[in-house]
Amino acid sequence: MKETIDRLRSEGLERIKAAESDSDIEAIRVALLGRKGEITALLRGLKDVDPADRPAMGAELNLLKVDLTALLDSRQCVLRGGGSATNMVGDLTLPGVPPTSGGTNHPLLSVLDSICDIFYGMGFTRDDGPEVELDYYNFTALNFPDDHPARDIQDTFYIDPKICLRTQTSPVQVRTMERNEPPLACIFPGRVYRNENADASHSSEFYQIEGLVVDKAVSMADLKDTVDTFVRNFFGAEEPTRFRPHYFPFTEPSVEVDMQCVSCRGKGCGVCGQTGWLEVMGAGMVHPNVFKAAGYPDDVYTGFAFGMGIDRIAMLKYGIGDIRLLYENDLRFLKQFRGVS
Amino acid sequence: MKISLDWLAEYVSWDDEPEALAAKLTSAGLNVESLEEFKQSFPGVVVAHVTDHRQHPDADRLSLCQVDDGTGEPVQVVCGASNVRKGLTVLLARVGAVLPGDFKIKKSKIRGVESRGMICSANELGLAAESEGIMELDTDLAPGTSADELYGFSDTVLDIEVTPNRPDWLSHIGVAREVAAIYGTKVVMPPVWSYQPSSENLGLKIKIDDYVECPRYGAFGATHLEIGPSPDWMQKRLRAIGSRPINNLVDITNYVMFELGQPMHAFDRAKLTGDTINIRTADSGTTVVTLDGQERKLDEGTLLVCDESGPIALAGVMGLANSEVTESTTEIVLESAFFNPKLVRTASRRLGLISESSYRFERGSDWNMVEKAALRALQLYQDLAGAHVLPAWADRQDPDRKSTASIPLRLWQVNRVLGTTITTDQAAQHLQALGLKVQPMGNSGTGSRNAVDMMVEIPSFRRDLFLEVDLIEEISRSYGLDNLPSGGGYRGAGGGVRRPDELVHTRMRHWFAASGYNELVTSSFLASGVLERLEFADDDCRARTLSVINPHHGGDTQLRTSLLPALLEVARRNLNAGSEPPVRLFQVNRVFWPAGAKRTDFLQEDDQLLPEEPLFLQFAIAGWRQEGLDGMPADLLEIKGVLEALASHLRLSVALEPADTENWLQAGSQWCIRDRNGKSVGAAGRVEAGILEKFDIDLPVAVVEINLSAMDLTPEPMKYVPFTRFPAVKRDLSLLVPAGTVWGAIQETVIDCAGPLLDRVDLFDIYRGKGVPEGKGAFGIRLKFRSQKGNLKSKTVDRAIGEILKGLSGRLQIEPRSQD
Repeated sequence: MKETIDRLRSEGLERIKAAESDSDIEAIRVALLGRKGEITALLRGLKDVDPADRPAMGAELNLLKVDLTALLDSRQCVLRGGGSATNMVGDLTLPGVPPTSGGTNHPLLSVLDSICDIFYGMGFTRDDGPEVELDYYNFTALNFPDDHPARDIQDTFYIDPKICLRTQTSPVQVRTMERNEPPLACIFPGRVYRNENADASHSSEFYQIEGLVVDKAVSMADLKDTVDTFVRNFFGAEEPTRFRPHYFPFTEPSVEVDMQCVSCRGKGCGVCGQTGWLEVMGAGMVHPNVFKAAGYPDDVYTGFAFGMGIDRIAMLKYGIGDIRLLYENDLRFLKQFRGVS
Repeated sequence: MKISLDWLAEYVSWDDEPEALAAKLTSAGLNVESLEEFKQSFPGVVVAHVTDHRQHPDADRLSLCQVDDGTGEPVQVVCGASNVRKGLTVLLARVGAVLPGDFKIKKSKIRGVESRGMICSANELGLAAESEGIMELDTDLAPGTSADELYGFSDTVLDIEVTPNRPDWLSHIGVAREVAAIYGTKVVMPPVWSYQPSSENLGLKIKIDDYVECPRYGAFGATHLEIGPSPDWMQKRLRAIGSRPINNLVDITNYVMFELGQPMHAFDRAKLTGDTINIRTADSGTTVVTLDGQERKLDEGTLLVCDESGPIALAGVMGLANSEVTESTTEIVLESAFFNPKLVRTASRRLGLISESSYRFERGSDWNMVEKAALRALQLYQDLAGAHVLPAWADRQDPDRKSTASIPLRLWQVNRVLGTTITTDQAAQHLQALGLKVQPMGNSGTGSRNAVDMMVEIPSFRRDLFLEVDLIEEISRSYGLDNLPSGGGYRGAGGGVRRPDELVHTRMRHWFAASGYNELVTSSFLASGVLERLEFADDDCRARTLSVINPHHGGDTQLRTSLLPALLEVARRNLNAGSEPPVRLFQVNRVFWPAGAKRTDFLQEDDQLLPEEPLFLQFAIAGWRQEGLDGMPADLLEIKGVLEALASHLRLSVALEPADTENWLQAGSQWCIRDRNGKSVGAAGRVEAGILEKFDIDLPVAVVEINLSAMDLTPEPMKYVPFTRFPAVKRDLSLLVPAGTVWGAIQETVIDCAGPLLDRVDLFDIYRGKGVPEGKGAFGIRLKFRSQKGNLKSKTVDRAIGEILKGLSGRLQIEPRSQD
């Protein structure tokens, strides 16, 4: 059947191209798509196809039908001429007008771009995962036990008991490890969701970036150096970061990372609550249970992971006091970021 | 968890300022979120003697007192308490004193009699929740003594963020252990009741249906209890950490919970039926009334504590009203148990009832505290409530439970993970400081992969330690994370190469910003009823959506299948807010198609349940009414030009074919977009007027939408082709074009007939009107000819133009316009 579909596509294309009048178009339409047309016949014959192939074949056929219909319509348009059809605004084949200048990228995504650039420079590559995610990848494979208080750290939107909106970019870690062998150095930027009320510092949708490095002898020293290199390059921090022990189910040891306050350079100000430090990310060494979920052999690899919220960083960087501004898309806000990259 | 430093000092010592202690705890992982002074002070309140007491002349319930407040001058005060009498020693709030609740004491006249102060009850001073009458003090106290000397105190309270893995930090003793580890001091446990032999026994049996549900349950007894207020020291400490004192019976179990971390529950023995306490799960349809007076319907399987008449407590969550201790209780059964954390958690979630008790049990309690904490409470019942403690108790526990766990530790792995050069001895010292017992192994110090250097015994209060790496974390905490080396700096083995599709997306986004478009980040959710406005056909995969089932704030639930609603909404808001049209917008965002293609590369079977998440590019011009060439709407010409320019910038190929494929675009003013393989990947055109109306927009919006996930984004490979150094020859033609002939057809014919020398053909003008015959248009086109071989002769160009004109005339009835 596949061959027939391919043949119909190429023949159809040729015939439509060669059509010179409305009546030609109609003839082709009837021959292919009419009640007794070849494609219609194939669609009817689907029921005799091996059930395993049926969905794929059906999809192919439908695509063919849509494509040929569109081609027929557009050839008809050309033949009739733009101005003649009553519902036409004008000649759609007229040359387009080139663009102007002076737009802007969204500050959130500009920040994300420049963060990615720093990690590309350090040899990281990027991977993406689904936003509608299995509970398995979002929690279980990341060593969040079922029915454990650790799950309360994040308020989760559920689609059904097995499917949620990812609450973190971390599930991509496991998906990447499942498909790739170490050594790995990856970043996973993207949108995440939390089931909470919006206010000046919370949004139910926001952006994170996650990093993962796995190799045979990766240590906390490598993590520290990587984080310091990032903070120095992105924020221009002069001091190394400070690590505090913390808890994340998927890393052990887990830490929270503070950096020198970007606003006062460590002197103490309103932005950092007079401490001179700002919390910038969570990080740690990949938990052996996560390696196990990814199918890596026991005891061979070590790795580190880190994750940070992009929104907060953009807000810090540009002095934006309310996270909601990032999602309102008010041009009076956006246009201020012209030229920022 | 709030920690009172006054309280903490009972178990551990540290020689440091509170701020320094807080900083060190934070570095050790006990993140101190706040440090507050907790003060209880009563300025203006002093001890006074009642020297005279008589009836108020105009009020039956009031009395008129003269008091001696140590100043020598008697003070006249009106008092409403029934227990006031001559000779009492009381607390007087002088004029000017401010009592809790910002209650200012002023000189006043009460029923015509002057009153210069107030004799206080414990309640008025915030020393008790309730009180009957005024406080009666020791008669030996000298008048004028400040109330602060008797009841005032100050304390420093740390609020510590406790992560879910460390339930042991939900108690003062647990924090004391960390302080001891930091300062190298010792933890002193509080005194517990010691067994005194006697023939009495509890008279209760414990029956546990399933040790998985309840691995351990202990019941202890005390009689002859005298209920009354707790002593001041206990009340102060409870208040300092935000717990309201009630009476000695209730306060003691709370106090021990905050002290040792073990939640316990006291039943009124007189209200229990029979001689057996049974721990079992609820049958369906069970309804109970909890201590807070709420009637609650239980799910089948909820873990219960029952006597012979039925449930008396929701295990680990809350007691029931039917067995509650009250002011008249004299005999209690004290429960101290170890419940299955998951069952407590499930019950607490389902009932929406999170108590101090459930919060601790669901995180895991300390097995050994079951008995220790009960004995501690019994000691306090004896000391503070005059109780007689029954010397025998019932303690049933899972006989198969393994008591201690040991974890092997390899120094090789410690140094591999931390990047350190720690020795066996150092590692052992760090672990011992945290109260872990270390057993060195023979091959100590070899530092090889297979050499276990020590076995580490895990105490019952550290149920978060399972694996070697958990011990490594403990070593890192004790070693100090900031002391760990930094360096090496892992550099990716593959080199930071951008994925080709991502490179295209990024370049695209930057190009749009440079080309006058403003980037949007819009919500993945759709407001209800919005999708219907787009009228997708039933079999269109955009007609089916996913919804979240638990939006607890009444927010939007539907995940979008199209970017259009968000785009139109942003356009409308900006136009309404006064943005000068045209407004140019773009976004690159995902949509969610549950009826779309399924993942084929799945490793988990359930991946098939996930929706397709194609990435879409959308850009639009909103609010532009201007006309361009030949009366065509300028916005349509621009989106077409922009798409073509974008494609050329990215070396992609797109074809725009006039075709009505989308219902949400105006018929007759839309294109189907195809990639280089002829695959339909999007549409462009003006949004249909009816839809704009539904979005409350009364200006045109021209939109291009492309499914980037479906489109071939491979850039056309670049290979240098030698360019010709010979000049081009340009010729302009003016053509009379019959109405109904489209530019595309003209262009096609010109290219077809011109031969290989034609470099390009452009349309630069269309004129209709005076001087041009009715029903025709004058098209100005520019032809550019060029040859690789040499300078073009005029004759050669003329010949090519002759062919072009012949073709135009023959195929499209187009004639050159005479040049007169």
